[in-house]
Amino acid sequence: MVAKKGNKGGMGGEDAEEELTRVPLQAILLADSFATLFRPITLERPKVLLPLVNAPMIDYTLAWLESAGVDEVFVFCCAHSKQVIDYLENSKWFGQPNFSVTTIESYNSTSAGDALRLIYEKHVIRGDFILVTGDTVSNMPLTQALKEHKERRRKDSNAVMTMVIKQSKSSPITHQSRLGTEELFMAIDPETKQLLYYEDKAAALKGTISLDKALLMDNSSISLHNDKQDCYIDICSPEVLSLFTDNFDYQHLRRHFVKGLLVDDIMGYKIFTHEIHSSYAARIDNYRSYDTISKDIIQRWTYPLVPDVQFFGNSVTKLERQGMYRASDVELSRSAKIGPFTVIGSGTKIGNYTEVSNSVIGEGCVIGSDVSIDGCYIWDKVTIEDGCKLKHAIVCDGVIMKSGAVLEAGVVLSFKVIIGSRFVVPAYSKVSLLQQPVKQDSDEELEYADNSSGNIEIATLSNAAEKLEEELRTELSDSQIQSVSEVGNGGAGFIWSVSEGGHDEEWRHSVAPIPMDRLVEIIKNATDELDISNEDGNILPPSGELEPDSVNDSDEDVRDDSVQFEKEVEATFLRAVNENVKEDHVILEVNSLRLSYNLAATDCAGALFYAMMKLALDAPHGSPGELVKNVAAVITKWNKLLKYYLPSIDEEIEVILKFEEMCLESTKEYSTLFVQILHLLYDKDILEEDAILNWASEKEEADESDKLLLKQAEKFIQWLNEASEEEE
Amino acid sequence: MWYRSASFILDRQHQQQNDTVTNPDSRPLSPSSSAMATENPNPSISMYYQTRAAHHGVVTSDWLAQAQAAVGGNSDDAVSDNCVSGGDEECKGFSVVDEFNNWRKQPDLAEAVAAIRALASVIRSSQATTMMELEIELKKASDSLKSWDTTSISLTAGCDLFMRYVTRTSALEYEDFNSAKSRLLERAEKFGEISYKARRIIAMLSQDFIFDGCTILVHGFSRVVLEVLRTAAQNKKLFRVFCTEGRPDRTGLRLSNELAKLDVPVKLLIDSAVAYSMDEVDMVFVGADGVVESGGIINMMGTYQIALVAKSMNKPVYVAAESYKFARLYPLDQKDMVPALRPIDFGVPIPSKVEVETSARDYTPPQYLTLLFTDLGVLTPSVVSDELIQLYL
Amino acid sequence: MPDVQSMVNEFVIKLKKRKVEGSKSTAKLTAELLRSFISQQRLPHSNQAGALIDAVKAVGEKLIAANPVELAVGNVVRRVLHIIREEDLSLTTAAVGGLSLAAESDDENDTEQDDHPVLSATAVAAAARNALRPPSLQTLLEDIPHSAVAPPTSSSGGDSEGKSKSADKNSMTRKLKHNVIEAVNELIQEISTCHEQIAEQAVEHIHHNEVILTLGSSRTVMEFLCAAKEKKRSFRVFVAEGAPRYQGHAFAKELAGRGLQTTVITDSAVFAMISRVNMVIVGAHAVMANGGVIAPVGLNMVALAAQRHAVPFVVLAGVHKLCPLYPHNPEVLLNELKSPSELLDFGEFSDCLDVGSGTGSPLLHVVNPAFDYVPPNLVNLFITDTGGHNPSYIYRLIADYYSADDLVVRRKSAS
Repeated sequence: MVAKKGNKGGMGGEDAEEELTRVPLQAILLADSFATLFRPITLERPKVLLPLVNAPMIDYTLAWLESAGVDEVFVFCCAHSKQVIDYLENSKWFGQPNFSVTTIESYNSTSAGDALRLIYEKHVIRGDFILVTGDTVSNMPLTQALKEHKERRRKDSNAVMTMVIKQSKSSPITHQSRLGTEELFMAIDPETKQLLYYEDKAAALKGTISLDKALLMDNSSISLHNDKQDCYIDICSPEVLSLFTDNFDYQHLRRHFVKGLLVDDIMGYKIFTHEIHSSYAARIDNYRSYDTISKDIIQRWTYPLVPDVQFFGNSVTKLERQGMYRASDVELSRSAKIGPFTVIGSGTKIGNYTEVSNSVIGEGCVIGSDVSIDGCYIWDKVTIEDGCKLKHAIVCDGVIMKSGAVLEAGVVLSFKVIIGSRFVVPAYSKVSLLQQPVKQDSDEELEYADNSSGNIEIATLSNAAEKLEEELRTELSDSQIQSVSEVGNGGAGFIWSVSEGGHDEEWRHSVAPIPMDRLVEIIKNATDELDISNEDGNILPPSGELEPDSVNDSDEDVRDDSVQFEKEVEATFLRAVNENVKEDHVILEVNSLRLSYNLAATDCAGALFYAMMKLALDAPHGSPGELVKNVAAVITKWNKLLKYYLPSIDEEIEVILKFEEMCLESTKEYSTLFVQILHLLYDKDILEEDAILNWASEKEEADESDKLLLKQAEKFIQWLNEASEEEE
Repeated sequence: MWYRSASFILDRQHQQQNDTVTNPDSRPLSPSSSAMATENPNPSISMYYQTRAAHHGVVTSDWLAQAQAAVGGNSDDAVSDNCVSGGDEECKGFSVVDEFNNWRKQPDLAEAVAAIRALASVIRSSQATTMMELEIELKKASDSLKSWDTTSISLTAGCDLFMRYVTRTSALEYEDFNSAKSRLLERAEKFGEISYKARRIIAMLSQDFIFDGCTILVHGFSRVVLEVLRTAAQNKKLFRVFCTEGRPDRTGLRLSNELAKLDVPVKLLIDSAVAYSMDEVDMVFVGADGVVESGGIINMMGTYQIALVAKSMNKPVYVAAESYKFARLYPLDQKDMVPALRPIDFGVPIPSKVEVETSARDYTPPQYLTLLFTDLGVLTPSVVSDELIQLYL
Repeated sequence: MPDVQSMVNEFVIKLKKRKVEGSKSTAKLTAELLRSFISQQRLPHSNQAGALIDAVKAVGEKLIAANPVELAVGNVVRRVLHIIREEDLSLTTAAVGGLSLAAESDDENDTEQDDHPVLSATAVAAAARNALRPPSLQTLLEDIPHSAVAPPTSSSGGDSEGKSKSADKNSMTRKLKHNVIEAVNELIQEISTCHEQIAEQAVEHIHHNEVILTLGSSRTVMEFLCAAKEKKRSFRVFVAEGAPRYQGHAFAKELAGRGLQTTVITDSAVFAMISRVNMVIVGAHAVMANGGVIAPVGLNMVALAAQRHAVPFVVLAGVHKLCPLYPHNPEVLLNELKSPSELLDFGEFSDCLDVGSGTGSPLLHVVNPAFDYVPPNLVNLFITDTGGHNPSYIYRLIADYYSADDLVVRRKSAS
C-alpha cells in the first residue's frame, strides 16, 4: 500500500496542478552549494554541472521540479555562473512549454542567505515557493506537501516553512547518515509535525543533546528522532525571503535560519516538517553522498529519473540483465567482464579482459586491456591505458591514466590530470592541475580546514575563484616540471595535501566505503570517549539525558533489557572477582554493556550493587553475623568501583531501592539484616545520609506493605536525622 | 572449385531417361566420380546428398580424394561434354538440366535459383508462340528437372514456385505474348537476386534475437545461419556458438572453421552431446532444406532430436530459411518423405548383415519450432503453413 | 506547423517521463496527435502518400523512441501508416482502374530497395512476393478468389506510394488527406469503444455459476465482467491483488460496488484457488505477433497455474494492443523496471542500503519489473473487438491491420 501511495501521488500531480493554477508555482534553485567539499573539482566546474550517472546534477533537479508541477524556476548562479548559464541556454530547458527557467546571476553572494536576499530584492517571488539546491535528486510529488503547507498557512500565518524529511537510519558506529552527513537530531511535535529542535552537528556533542526545558513544558508530546534525513527541500512562504533580509547575519539555511527561527520565538514563526515515505529525495553534499545517490539511481529508487528513461536529453541507454545500463554504441571487447550495476556511456570503448563493476563510465572513454575498475565514477572522455587499477575513485573529464597506474580508494582526479605510468596515487588524495590554494590566501581556507564537520557557507566567490584559477593556470607552466614527480613520470597535476584538521575525517566523505579497520577504531574510540566523560562526572542526570533510540521503546522492552543487563553485569563482576580484574577494566566493561543495552548510569549502580550482594551471599556463611561480615568484605574491596557509579544522590537512592527489592524478593536472607547493612554502607561512605533520608521520605507515602523495611530502619533513620540536626 | 555433379548428373540423366550409355572414358579426369556415376545409380548416395556435399565442401576423406583428383580437371570439359551429349538428343530435357547444372556452379547460388534460371533459359530458347505452348514446354522442363533429383526439396520448390508464377500470371495477362515472355524472363532474372538478398534479409531480421552474452547452438552447415552469425559478429554482438559435429559429413566442423575466422568463440560438440550442453544454450539456430506445409522443416539428420531436447528444456528453436525453400510437402512422419541417402563412414568395416540407416534428413514437426526467419519476415510455423496453403490453393 | 511540432514535443516528453499510463489512453492520445499532425501537414503535389508516410514515420519514430516499452504508440503509428497506404491504394485503384504500369511499378521497386534494404528484396522478389507474401494480406485474399486482376495490382499494392506518383495526380490531391483523417477518426473511435466491443461478447463466454479469476486491475476486464452481470449472469470473481501495486484491491471494491460476488486473494494463493476456477480472464499490456502476451507482472504465474489445471486462460485486448513485432528477449527488452519503493519503504531499509561500509555496494537489491511475458502456448483465447481468436491466429489479425513495410518504423529507430 505504501507503494500505491507513491503512484497515486505521481498521478495526482496533474489534478492538483489545476487547483494550483491560480498562482503559478515557483521554485528557487540555488546552483551553488556555497561549500568546498567538492574541491578541487569545483574550482573548474560548478557542482551542479558535475555528471551524476552521466547526466548533470542540475538536470535531475530541474526534471523533478518540472514533473512535480513547478511552473517557474529561478536558477541562482554564483560560482562559475557563466558555465551554468551557458549550459542552461544550450539545453532544452529554455523554451519548454509550461516550464520557464530564469537565471539570476550574482558575483558576490557568499551564502544561501545572500542569495535569498538578492532574490528578495528582485521581487520575482509572488507566493509560496520551493527552495532547493541544484544538487537535489528527488522524485517526490509536491502536491501533498504543498497542500499541507497551504492549509497550515491558512490557519496560522506564522507557519512559514515546510521542510521535507525522510526516514533514514544513520550508522550506529560512525554516527553518519548514508549520505555522509552527520547524525541529525530533530524534535518534532507528533501531532502538528512542527519542528521544535534541529541539530545537525550532533556528533560533536558526544552523544548527548540538551533540549530547552521550555520545549517540554510547552508541548504535550515530543518525538525525538535521529533516524530522519533532511532532504533540503523546503516549501517556503514569501516571508522567508524577507526574514533573510531582516536578519543580515543569516547565512546558512539550516544553521542560521532554521535554528534561528527555532530559538527565537519572539516572531513566533514556525517550521513544519513533511515526511515522505515512498518517494526519494536526497541532496549531494559530499563525495559520500555522490556515491550513495549514484547507486540509488542505478538501483532505480529515483524512478523515473533513471538512466534508461530519457527524462531529459540523456543518451539512449538500455537496461540489461542485472542492472547493467549500456548506451547503444558501446564497444565492448568480448573478453571484458562488465559486472552488475554498471553504467556505460555511449561511444566508450573497453578493451580485453577488463573488469568493471559497480561503476559509472561516461561518454567517449577509452579503456584499455586488463584494467580493473571497481566502484568508480569515470566521467567523459577519459583515457585509461592498459593494466590500470582503479578502486572507488572519481575520475573527471579528460583525465589520462598511463599504463599501470593505480588509484587507491577514495582518490579524486580532477579535470585533465595525467597520471604517470605505474604511479600509485595514495588513498584519499585529490589531484588537480590547479595548485592547492595556500593557507594565507583568504579566510576561505580557514573554513576549508574545518570543512569536514559540515557544510560551510564560505565564499566560493565566483570572481575570486576564477581569478585564483587564472593565476594558477599561469603558474602551471612553471610548476609543471615540479609536478612531474608528483604524479609519476609524464604526469601532470598536483596532489592536494589534506588539511590537517580534516585528515582524520577524510574517509568520512570519500566515495570509498569506510575501511574495516577504521570502523573498529571508531568503536574503540567511542567507548573511550564515553569513559572519559564518565570519569569527568559529567553525566547528565537521567531526566535530561534522552536516549533517542529508547524513546520509542515500550516499557516492556526496558524491563526485559534491564533484567538481562543485570545478569550481564553480575557475570562481569563475578569474572572480575575470580580473575582479579582491575577496577578500571570492570568499569569499561560495564560501560560498554550499558551502552549496548541503552540504559542509564543509575541502572549500572543498581546492577553492580546487586552483583556484590549476590557475591557476599554466595560466599560460605553460617550465621547472619557472618553474612554481614561477608558483605562488609566485599563492599570494602570494591568500594571504589561502586563509588564510581554513585556520582550523585540519585544513584544512591537507586542502590537503596535495589537493596530493598532484593530483601523483599530475591534474597530474603538480607531482609533481617537490612538495617545492619544499610548502616554498613553509610559507614563505608557509599551512601550519604541525604540519600537515605530521601529514600525514607519517599517511602513515607508508600503502601503499608512496602514500609516493612522502612519500619526496620526507623531507628537508624531517626538517628541520622538527629545527627544531621546536631551538625546544624 | 570443383563441381563434379555436372558431369555426374548428366550421366545419370543418360542412364535413367535416355538409356544412353555414355562413355566413361570421356571423363578421364575424374575417374572415381565417373566410375561412381556410371556404375551408379548408386542407391546409397542420393543426388541430394551429392549436391549438398559439393556445395558444402563436405570433408570426408572419400570426397577429399576426389576433390584433389579433380582439381586439375576442368569442369568445362565435362560441361561441354554434357552439352554435346545433351544437345544432340532430347533437347528440352537435356538443356534444362544442363542449364541447371551450369547455374549451380556459381558458388553462392541456391539450387532453387538455379532451377528457375534454367527454366528461364527454356523460355528464352522456346519457339512457342502462345502462352499455352510455353506453359506446356515449361511444365515438361520443370518435371524433368524435378524428376532428375527427387530428393532435393528446394529444387522442387523452386520449380513449383516458378510454374505457379507462370500459370497464374499468364492466365491473367492482358499483355501480348512477347511482352509476357520478356516479363517472365525478367522475373526469372530477378529471382536470382533474391537468393542473395534473402540471406541478408534473414540475417538482419534475426539480429534482434541475438542478444549479448547469449549462447547459440547450431546444427550442420547452413549458409543462411552462417550469414546470420556473421552479421551478428559484424554488429559487435557478444555471443558464443556451439557447433555440432554433424556426422557423418562433419558439416559442423566447417561451420566452426568459418566462425573461428570471424573471431566468434566456438565450441564443437559431438552430435550426441546436445542434450548434455543444452542447459548452457540460449537458443538453437538451424537452417532448413525445406519448409513444409505443416510449418515444420526438413533438415539435416539430427535436427529433430535437437529440437526435441530444446523443447523439453524450453529453449527457443529458430529456423533460418529462404522463402524459396517453402515446399508443397506435407510429411506425416519421418518416413513419409523421399529419403536422401548418403554413405556413412564408420571407420571400421561393417558386416554386410548389419543394416545401416543412411538417411540424411529428418523432419521436425512445427510444434518444436519457435520461429522461422524468412525473407518474408519472422513467421511462426502456423503462419508458414498458412502462407503455403494460400500459395498453392 | 510549429504548433504541431510543439504538440509532438510535449507528447514525447510526457511519454519519456512516463506520465502517460495505460495503453488505451496512450493509443488514443497518439492517434489524436497524429490526426492533427496529418491535418496540418502540407502535401506536395506529387507523391502525396509517400510524403505523408515519410512525415508520419518521422514523427512516429520520435514517439516510439520516447518510450519503447509502451508498444501502443508504435501500434497506432503503424495503423495510421497502414491507413494512409490503404486510402492511397483505394484512390489509385479508383482512378487508374488497376491497369498496366507494370514496368513502372517495377522501377519503383528498385528505388524502394535502396531506401529500405530490409524489405526491398522482398519487394523485388516479385514472384515470391506475389505468391507468398501479402504485404497486406488483403491483396492476397483479393487475388486468389477472383484471380482475374491479381498480379499487377497486387504487385503494386506493396509499393502503392510509388504507383501513386506515376498515376493520376490531380483527382486525389485533396481527397487523400481527407480520407486519411476520416479513417484516423474511425481508428480513434475504435480505440475508445473497444471496451464495449469486447464486453459485448461477455455473455458468450461467462456462464451461470462460474468462477472467474483475474489479477490486478484492467478496465477492459471490468467492463467485460459487468456486461455479463448486466445480462443476468450470476458468477463469482476471484481477484488476485496484483502486487506490488495492489490494484486488485480497488478493482475488487469496484466490482463489489457493481454488485458482483467478489473474493480477494493474494497473488501467491492463485495456485491454491485455481482448481475452483472455471476461467481466467485478464487484460494485457500488448499482444505480440506470435500470440505471446506482455502483461502485468504475475500473470505468467497465473497462466501456468491455469494450464496446470486446464483452466481456460482468456486475454482481453483491444486491437490497438496488437503489436506486429515478435518478442525477442521479452523479459528484458520489453520490460520496464519500476522503482523499488513500490516494494519497500526506503526509510525502513536505509541501513541495508548504506554503501559507506563494507564492499561499497549495497547488499540489498530490489527488482521490480512491470511486465511478464506469457508465451502463446499458455493462452487459450484472445478476445478482441473483432471476436475471439486463437493465439496462432494473431498474426493474421496483424496482417489485417498493419502493412509489413511499416515495421521499418521500428527498425530505423532501433538501429
